[in-house]
Amino acid sequence: MSSVVAERAGGRSGSSKRRGRLSRRDFLRLSGAGLAGAALLGGAGCGGGGEQTSGVTNLVFSFGPDDSGSLTQVVDRFNEEYQGEIQAEYRQMPSDTSSYFNQLRTEFQSGASPVDVIGGDVTWPAQLAANGWILDLSDLFTEDMRSDFVDATVQSCTYQDKVWGVPWFTDVGLLWYRQDLLEESGFSEGPQTWDELKEMAEKTSRDSGTEFGFIFQGAQYEGAVVDGLEYIWTSGGNVLTDSGEVLADQPDPITGLTTQRSMVEDGVSPIAVVNYKEPETHTAFLNGSAVFCRNWPYMYGLLKDPAQSQITPDQVEITTLPYNEGGESHSGLGGWNMYVNAASEDKLDAIWEFIRFFTMNDEQQRFRATSGGFLPPLKSLYEDQEILDSQPVVSIAGDALERALTRPISPFYSDVSLAMQRQFAESLKGAVTPEEAAQNLQQEISSRIELGQRLLVEDRSG
Amino acid sequence: MATRAGTPEKEGGGLGRVFREEFRNRERRTAYYMILPTLLVILGVAFYPIAVSLINSFRLSLPGQPGGEWAGLQNYVYLFRDSPFQAAFINTVVFTVVSVALEFVIGLAVALAINRAFKARGLVRAAILVPWAFPIVVSAVMWRLMYQDQVGIINYIVTALGLIDQPILTDNVTVMIGAIVSDVWKTTPFMALLLLAGLQTIPGDVYEAAKVDGASRVQQFFRITLPLLGPSILVALLFRTLDSWRVYDLFWAMSDKQLESLSTYTYKAVRDSQLLFPVGNAAAVVTFLTAFLIAIFFIKVLGMKTSTEA
Repeated sequence: MSSVVAERAGGRSGSSKRRGRLSRRDFLRLSGAGLAGAALLGGAGCGGGGEQTSGVTNLVFSFGPDDSGSLTQVVDRFNEEYQGEIQAEYRQMPSDTSSYFNQLRTEFQSGASPVDVIGGDVTWPAQLAANGWILDLSDLFTEDMRSDFVDATVQSCTYQDKVWGVPWFTDVGLLWYRQDLLEESGFSEGPQTWDELKEMAEKTSRDSGTEFGFIFQGAQYEGAVVDGLEYIWTSGGNVLTDSGEVLADQPDPITGLTTQRSMVEDGVSPIAVVNYKEPETHTAFLNGSAVFCRNWPYMYGLLKDPAQSQITPDQVEITTLPYNEGGESHSGLGGWNMYVNAASEDKLDAIWEFIRFFTMNDEQQRFRATSGGFLPPLKSLYEDQEILDSQPVVSIAGDALERALTRPISPFYSDVSLAMQRQFAESLKGAVTPEEAAQNLQQEISSRIELGQRLLVEDRSG
Repeated sequence: MATRAGTPEKEGGGLGRVFREEFRNRERRTAYYMILPTLLVILGVAFYPIAVSLINSFRLSLPGQPGGEWAGLQNYVYLFRDSPFQAAFINTVVFTVVSVALEFVIGLAVALAINRAFKARGLVRAAILVPWAFPIVVSAVMWRLMYQDQVGIINYIVTALGLIDQPILTDNVTVMIGAIVSDVWKTTPFMALLLLAGLQTIPGDVYEAAKVDGASRVQQFFRITLPLLGPSILVALLFRTLDSWRVYDLFWAMSDKQLESLSTYTYKAVRDSQLLFPVGNAAAVVTFLTAFLIAIFFIKVLGMKTSTEA
């Protein structure tokens, strides 16, 4: 609309009565200055970019904000060790995963990204690879090396039988509960199935006067996609297979979504979970307002800290997620991998040193795990005493990782995720029934994939 | 106003001849050269992006791809069949109609109230503008806190009164009502200010004459105030309607990106989605055209009123 207003204003000033010469000259001078200013700005914007100084390879590594400060320290360690050979620079990206991805995608679409190594989400490789923006690392990241990593994390780097990244740190959904309250209500151990969870949550919250039975992430965002998928996977269903088959309207996914909605309908979870992301979840649980809680392992660090938590680690037990009959426990995999910009192939030797230092170096992984609470992707470190002492949650996370699943691997993941975000939230709110949500999801994902295939074919011919 | 309505007819006779005449006059020619940079800037920053969006909306292509196959109306068909877009369209219409209507009624009442002479009138006028001075995102986040289920005072009160059975932010309808309430709170002062300016142009002797003739207060309002305020009302309504039509920040900050409007749909399609880029361009064109139609509708109404006055 602003343009219409501008046009009208422009037209009117042109046809209005002639003003004094001075004002016009002033006007001209001003607009000239404006143009010159814009040109200067444009010129400045084109500068920057890594220049190669004598013998030193400069690398740019992108990742979200380094809240724990441990990333900057590892980058410093790397630069110290490779002084005179490789100089790595950490470029901070938005903390919101979608915003980060948008920025990266815009850079690639406009022709070039200054980033050499991308610290990227586990859901990205298919999209980045399908567009030819990242390098196939299958040859460098050998079978032998891969066997040291937790299977699910390698799986999250894989697209069309090729490996496009190296796992850096991982994350997995866990069930946390108040062991002390459960015992008071006569339950000796945690729930195996979702029905048991509901029963225990109802009785325990009633007995102890705890406000909520069970809380999880239900807001309309990427995090709740993992929660929604966990209900579907633990009911034996799936939404989209790696081969691109859409299974959202099958009976098992409907069972999963029905279980999720029943948490709210039966009063086990407050309806407010439809606004919950991770911070709301951990705030409520750590305040002692909930008996059960689904959250990522990072919560352990907060639980240990009396300034952040009203409850202590010995009141809490952690386990793998419950399941429905016919399903088994599965957790959604989170975490971040390292990908290589396809345009940086000439620096691949230096890049590979960098990636190995961050991902396969036990010492650096141990440091990030103990100081930042980042779960290592290396199997051997799940028996590492130093890490277990500092982060006991690691041992249960190791069990959960064995049955962790990745979100659908699709070159159209952004769009598949948007559809899941919307339908999972609508179903949880009760705005549509779980059956309707499943059917809408089936239809939306199918139509987006169809559109995507047409656009991608277009891409190749263009 | 009346002269502006007359100008198009004068310029109507043959564009070429007009150009020749205009450029023969040296002084005018200089004038055109002087406004040329401005026109070029407007072309570059306003018309070029609109033209590119328009072209993209008829093509099947992603950003960064040159060309792309012509898709005719396919993107528009996809758009109107997309249920999130339908929801976004309905939300925008409901939000615009309800919030502008409420703002007008309340704004008019406020304007009438502060138009009288009373002590500290200047202070009251300034104070009433405070909500409008807030950045939209700040006020949206503030209202979100008041609607929130754990600490929100409004949520607490309406729950205690039994008006709602679940927290405000957990239901699409109550979230929309919440958005309308915070928009009314925020922009009523703007409406009141525009109407107040209009009220002050009405000469006092008209009312005196009416009083002498024995007109009641109500008659004065409907026979004098409203008709004379007409042009101001239309300008205020046009501004507010166009503002509401492109609502974006209020919805996203207040509902944490859950309430969709035409603008948020466009953003999601063009930025968050990878595939809906052409459809998003179609959505942008639809938003632009509908806003344009609203503006034309208002301007036609406005022109009609002023010409009958003259």
